[in-house]
Amino acid sequence: MTPPRIDASLRLNLGLLLCLMPCLVSSIGCSTHAKRVSLSRSLFYEGQLQACRDRLEKLHKSHRQDRDVANLDLAVVDLLDGRTQEAESRLKAVRDRFDKLEQESLSEKTLAMWTDDTARSYAGEDYEKILIRVYLALANLMRDGVDAESYTLQIQDKHEAVMQRLWGEAPVDTNSKKFTGLPIGFYLRGMLREQTHLDYDDALRSYTQVAQLLPTCQAIQGDVQRVTQGVHSEPGNGVLYVFAMVGRGPYKIESVEQPTSDALLIADRIISAVGPYKLPPTIAPIKVPKVTVPDSDIEGVRVTVHSQAVGSTVSIADIDQLALETSQAARNQLIARAVARRVIKKATVAAVKQQTSSNGLTSLGLDAAGVAWEALESADTRCWGLLPRNIQVLRIELPAGSHLLSLAPEYLGQIGRTQTQRQVSIVDGRNTYVIGWFPDTFTPPRILTSLH
Amino acid sequence: MHPDDQPLDKNVWMRRRWLLGLISLSPLAAGCRGYQYGHIVKPTANDMVGSHEAGSEVFHPLVDESVGKLLAKQQEQCVIGPDGSAQKKTICFVCVENKMSEDIGDFKDQLYEQIDSKILESDVFQSVSRRMVDAALHETRLRPDALMVPDNMNLFTAVLQRQGAPIDYLLYAKLTSGTTQRNSSKQRDYLLTLELTNIHTGIYSKESAEIRKGYHKTAMGGVWNYNPFK
Repeated sequence: MTPPRIDASLRLNLGLLLCLMPCLVSSIGCSTHAKRVSLSRSLFYEGQLQACRDRLEKLHKSHRQDRDVANLDLAVVDLLDGRTQEAESRLKAVRDRFDKLEQESLSEKTLAMWTDDTARSYAGEDYEKILIRVYLALANLMRDGVDAESYTLQIQDKHEAVMQRLWGEAPVDTNSKKFTGLPIGFYLRGMLREQTHLDYDDALRSYTQVAQLLPTCQAIQGDVQRVTQGVHSEPGNGVLYVFAMVGRGPYKIESVEQPTSDALLIADRIISAVGPYKLPPTIAPIKVPKVTVPDSDIEGVRVTVHSQAVGSTVSIADIDQLALETSQAARNQLIARAVARRVIKKATVAAVKQQTSSNGLTSLGLDAAGVAWEALESADTRCWGLLPRNIQVLRIELPAGSHLLSLAPEYLGQIGRTQTQRQVSIVDGRNTYVIGWFPDTFTPPRILTSLH
Repeated sequence: MHPDDQPLDKNVWMRRRWLLGLISLSPLAAGCRGYQYGHIVKPTANDMVGSHEAGSEVFHPLVDESVGKLLAKQQEQCVIGPDGSAQKKTICFVCVENKMSEDIGDFKDQLYEQIDSKILESDVFQSVSRRMVDAALHETRLRPDALMVPDNMNLFTAVLQRQGAPIDYLLYAKLTSGTTQRNSSKQRDYLLTLELTNIHTGIYSKESAEIRKGYHKTAMGGVWNYNPFK
């Protein structure tokens, strides 16, 4: 029997493909980012910041594709360790890189279709892009505050762009509880404009936007009232802003999902666009990243000045909520990509078998290679993993001078035992800032005060 | 004819095309992500026109026109001193108020500086430093919009006088807007008003400049809504 003839160009291409296969398989990561950073995360929540930094720096050097998210985690560690300048420069580098990565790369998209989504450069989730600018503003306020106003404008710009993309032309509907946004950017801008003692109209505009996003928050109504009729502070007084980073924030894990009908529809379009194949009627479960938020045993932070309770912090950024909402919105697209990738791999193996007219043993070998190719895929779990669950704030007007400030976690009206104290200096007519980190009720909190 | 010389089956061709298509995508490793570029806009070039909000194309002409009108009018009313030269009036430019439906973001401080610089360059006014104004507001804890209350005015001017900057006039700049909606198009009228008040007599004067701007969802929206033959 004469073997089937294969023309020279196709033989060359098949040879190339077979050479490429081991490279593609080797480029698929067996371990996910979630697994690689789990130890760093544990060290961080145990309060071992130096050990956590060492681990993250090692990851930053060893895994090119994890570099940006490692940099973000390192910025959080630096900030809580009081190294605000280092934190700011790391955040600025990632902000610029994510801006650049908003443009798609065709080469990466192609490679991701042959391997998995970890082959793509991580361009950041929408909520992360807003929060990078929020952290930049906070880090800058802890130092000299020179660039803080610029960062607040950048938060607003990014927030508007993200909301526009999520909502399209439809107005943001705060009643639907979908993509209600992060009011913290507007709050920070209002806070800084009010401090000028001049731009109360800007402050009112910003606080009004916060009030629209948080319609039930009483504290914001007080802010609106003050900038409408009152002044920043009485003569001889200054203002203390306590920002509390409360709870453990969202991160991604790998999950096995059954494709939804919407995702299959999108995948069918992708497949039809690149070849003659149709989507098979059934697709086995696929691996995709899933945003998860750890349970929290902390609701807020009780603030005491000279042993006298002055109030509790209120949330102005529900990071967990926005992370879940935005990941849900992107879910169908994500699953569709994974389905399309699987179909392309299956079709490629089938085409190779057809062209080489493989006998039983070779066919079995190619099938095994195909299964291994698919099985080695892993979900892209890269994310900014050291964020808090939410960011809360309390504004306190105090006489100029030195004050003893105590912060304690609160849960169901009970005060936690991990109370911490700090001496703060209030300047007449100016703002002073304190950042408190409270991941749970038993981890010792960390406090950072502004230098100016 | 050899059996292998038969025309290839359609399915086989499609599979070959599929493989070739996928393989041909692989060399796209050159990277297609672009860079960001910047350039200096020549002073003679027109300003970029904002698609959603007012920008330089609106604010710069508004400042030029309104300040020009104010200075021209005040020039006429100048008092000539014993040496024959016009006596400068001492003015305190308090703030720019934004009452528009749009947020002007980083333009606010720039508008203040533009107006203040033009006033300072003129032969009509002697302007008080913004830092002194800020310090006086900080010390008195007065809101800028509350300075017209007589007691507040006395307190504010007394603080400035103590700093060595007595004043004759208070100047406020106010931005307002009015919007007309027509289906998916809208026209927004931007008005910059400069309000000058003599703190000794209470007499005030106003000068303003207006620019109208259309916003459209389609490229032909402008032609359709502002067609002279309609």
